[in-house]
Amino acid sequence: MDVEVLKRDDVSLKLLVKGVKLHLLNSIRRALIAEVPVMAVDYVVFMENSSVFYDEYIAHRLALIPLSSEKALEKYKSPEECREAGERGIFSEDCFVKLELSGEGVKGGVKTLYSGDLVSGDPDVKPVYDKIPIIQLLENQRVKLEAYARLGRGREHIKWSPVSVAAHKYVASVKIDEGKCSYPQCRRCIEVCPRQVIVEKEGSIKVDEGKLLECSLCRLCETVCPSEAVKVSWKEDEYILYFESTGSLTPKRILIEATKVLEDKLNTLKKALLEGVGYGGG
Amino acid sequence: MLFPVRCFTCGAPIGHLWDEYIKRVQAGEDPAKVLDDLGVKRYCCRRMFLSHVDIAREVLYFPKIS
Ligand code: SF4
Ligand code: SF4
Ligand SMILES: [Zn+2]
Repeated sequence: MDVEVLKRDDVSLKLLVKGVKLHLLNSIRRALIAEVPVMAVDYVVFMENSSVFYDEYIAHRLALIPLSSEKALEKYKSPEECREAGERGIFSEDCFVKLELSGEGVKGGVKTLYSGDLVSGDPDVKPVYDKIPIIQLLENQRVKLEAYARLGRGREHIKWSPVSVAAHKYVASVKIDEGKCSYPQCRRCIEVCPRQVIVEKEGSIKVDEGKLLECSLCRLCETVCPSEAVKVSWKEDEYILYFESTGSLTPKRILIEATKVLEDKLNTLKKALLEGVGYGGG
Repeated sequence: MLFPVRCFTCGAPIGHLWDEYIKRVQAGEDPAKVLDDLGVKRYCCRRMFLSHVDIAREVLYFPKIS
């Protein structure tokens, strides 16, 4: 297995992965979306809400605010334990972080409460972005609430997913049969390619190898060719994995946690098999 | 209602960008350029901004039914 970083910034990671089977890469991708735990608001207690917005609407907006979870993964109990604790009405400190919000409308204007106005009980768990509007208030309208965040997994609710986009893609292989091609009388594939993969170089037609990663596999070139000289296919066991963090964890951490989850699952399966079936004459 | 916290399609957080977006667009800037500056690349997220009607500003003046 060979991994090359194609693009990397604060919130996203693009990798070229070689020598790996699609089903394995897809398991990792699905673990990124649904298995890596992050913090999100799960319960909201309203002490007062005289705004025009319903409690549910505010609670929903609160839940979607990404909370920094880098340190929370070690500090708090697992999603499964905390889910149970929440269902039994136990809001213990080793599971839940309390975030408070209160505000009042101002005279003759509209007061907006932002995610930055949330007061968190744990400095390690706070909104990643400060300028997310939560609610607007007029004069004489008040809101006072306590929100309880816990670790959870994307498979339970998407608010607990650490990524927004997580996708993989084939790497294209575009071949031009020069014997069949009637260049320079015809230039149709060059004109039609939306990603400039097929180019003219020194009086001949070429596939730009550097641009192949950008080929969208749209097969337009194949479709327009009058003599079936272009063949678009894909490389075996070579994929591009791209994912974008919501900001609660760094992309690197998300990937590491995803592989950990996957490993744990496989170990559990292996253990169950060894204990339960005793295959191989054992 | 209020501008959504996340993009409906991809789930990327976008709520924090609204204030700057609307301020700059109302000052006469081209929405496409503002979105590029804010790093909103995908068209699912871009349409969230382009098609948003800030109806909360009107709803605010009506009583809540309960
Ligand atoms: S499949 Fe599409 S993007 Fe790829 S080379 Fe052909 S026309 Fe260009
Ligand atoms: S469309 Fe076909 S024939 Fe025309 S230049 Fe491309 S490969 Fe050659
Ligand atoms: Zn989007």
